[in-house]
Amino acid sequence: MVKKSKKQKMKDEKLAKHPFNLLKSLIPTKLTRNHIYIIIVALIVAAFATVPSFIDVDTSYFAYFLFLCFLYIVIAQGWNVVAGYAGQISLCQNTFFGLGAYTTALLWLLDVTKTGYYFDPVLMVLSGLVPAILAIIIGIPLLSRLRGDYFAIGTLGVQFSVTVLFLKGGAFTKGADGLHLPSTVFQSMTPYYWTGFLLALFAIAVVYFINRSRIGLALKAIREDETAAASRGVHILKYKVFAFAVGAFLAGIGGSLFAYYLFHINPDSVMHLNWLFFPILMCVLGGNGTIIGPIIGAFFLAAISSFGDVYFAQMHPIFSGLLIILVMKFMPTGIIGLKDRIFSRR
Amino acid sequence: MGEFGIIAQVLVNGILFGTMYGIAAIGLSLIYGTMRIIFFAQGAIIVFFAYICYWFFALLGLDPYLSLILIIPISLLLGMGFYFGLFKEAAALEDKNISLLIAIGLMWLVENFMAVVWSGDPRTVVTAYTSWVLRPGGLNISFTRLMALLIALLSSVGVFVFLKRTLIGTAVRAASEDMESTTLMGINPNWVNAVTFAIGIGLAGTAGVGLATVYSFDPTYGFTFVIMSVIALAFGGMGNVFGALLGGIILGVLQGLGAYFVSPTWADAICFGAFLLVLMFRPQGLFGKKE
Repeated sequence: MVKKSKKQKMKDEKLAKHPFNLLKSLIPTKLTRNHIYIIIVALIVAAFATVPSFIDVDTSYFAYFLFLCFLYIVIAQGWNVVAGYAGQISLCQNTFFGLGAYTTALLWLLDVTKTGYYFDPVLMVLSGLVPAILAIIIGIPLLSRLRGDYFAIGTLGVQFSVTVLFLKGGAFTKGADGLHLPSTVFQSMTPYYWTGFLLALFAIAVVYFINRSRIGLALKAIREDETAAASRGVHILKYKVFAFAVGAFLAGIGGSLFAYYLFHINPDSVMHLNWLFFPILMCVLGGNGTIIGPIIGAFFLAAISSFGDVYFAQMHPIFSGLLIILVMKFMPTGIIGLKDRIFSRR
Repeated sequence: MGEFGIIAQVLVNGILFGTMYGIAAIGLSLIYGTMRIIFFAQGAIIVFFAYICYWFFALLGLDPYLSLILIIPISLLLGMGFYFGLFKEAAALEDKNISLLIAIGLMWLVENFMAVVWSGDPRTVVTAYTSWVLRPGGLNISFTRLMALLIALLSSVGVFVFLKRTLIGTAVRAASEDMESTTLMGINPNWVNAVTFAIGIGLAGTAGVGLATVYSFDPTYGFTFVIMSVIALAFGGMGNVFGALLGGIILGVLQGLGAYFVSPTWADAICFGAFLLVLMFRPQGLFGKKE
């Protein structure tokens, strides 16, 4: 090693005292990829959190659009856990969504929990738990006996049975007419924006932690090859039911939020097939089985349907159908998959 | 007509309408055999052909049964077109969910396309013979329903003979047993898949004519129809032509009895319940052999 001359040492010390270098020494020397991601995420979250201070949430269509995006993110991440991570095509997400909405409405109208009801955290958590419990009850027999397509059509059977139960619920669910919540409590869109925002963050966090944990590893193993996963000691049924229940929970709290927005809950509005197809569409558009994919998909779909509603009302479902076909045909891994395809092409 | 007579009438109606589910289920069964997906768009395409039949009748004055001569070739070609246009790349992939999602997208597209072109109002094809009723032994059997039964039976026999007697039919049956080995035997999987799609959509075309003459239909009816066909398919067992037809008839009868004894809405719930039970305890279908 060459010994540094005295002159050189003094020069180094002088340089270290330079304000710019002092500042630089505060930042971690190696700005890793993770740091950059954290900074980007923090900036995006901060941007959405400051939106209400720039625009008037009550009158702006943009705030409503963002509320819709947040709602979509919550339900899309629900489907993402079941189908994207565990690989189980669940076709009763709209049932869980509707069940969440009905739980909120019924607990409120029947005055059960004696808490505030309007944007009540207790009610929202319960609205998530009820579908999750239903998911566990139906998931154990369905998931232990049915695989792949059979599971998909089994959940379809569940979906129709539950819808009929709610249509025929008599005085309890008021049938096709549904339940009317006291809409006089509505004062402003602001709480909708914030609750939607927090729920979207919560849903993303859930998927993020599932993705990083052993559970996520197990779910992905099940998705790729069930037999291989089982032979490695993964308890398949336990993890599948877990994913199904988490998906139901997220759909349920999404339903609860929508119930607060809609105030009029009936099977046709909250158990509509759109609430089944939208999450699927968002996940496959963005990229199934990724964290960021469903978020991109949610924004994309909300933008397309808002744009379509304004410019060609009634025509836009045709485009969404066409869009699913085109996306699946030309980029089966979604918008996220495009990145890999571009970089892997030499 | 006594209590017994009414029940007999309910049974007959159930059988007559169940055959419609049956032929849709045969199409689903064939497509499932080679592609390994539930072709969810089947119901929407049946209603689409019902509308085509309606148009031929309303605009050109073509008799619905005569329009079969046009509708069958159109639907066969459309089936081929669907395969080569939409499913060809996805069929080669390991992940079957992509084909499934394309089918769901197609369903959505066709359904909303019909809602825009023909609006959401229910339509019916009313001809001179719509009100004809045959009365064998005190039962009322409408002529159109009998014709629908006849069409269903003829087309399923046709498909059965095609599968058993022709070389392409043998290839289709072999492919639904084991696609990989069939490909190794020198059979082009694309052509097998295209032929099954053509037959599946062809059956949808005939079912559409049957539907148009018997019932009033609207764009959203297709989804109900495909769900019922899936149930019929589960009753009959996947990959079994006459099983699917019988499954449809059982479903029709079950629905009719449920509607008579309980109520029409609960009848659907009864069907779904029976469907879940069959899926749980006899996933190979009521007539399938245990593997």
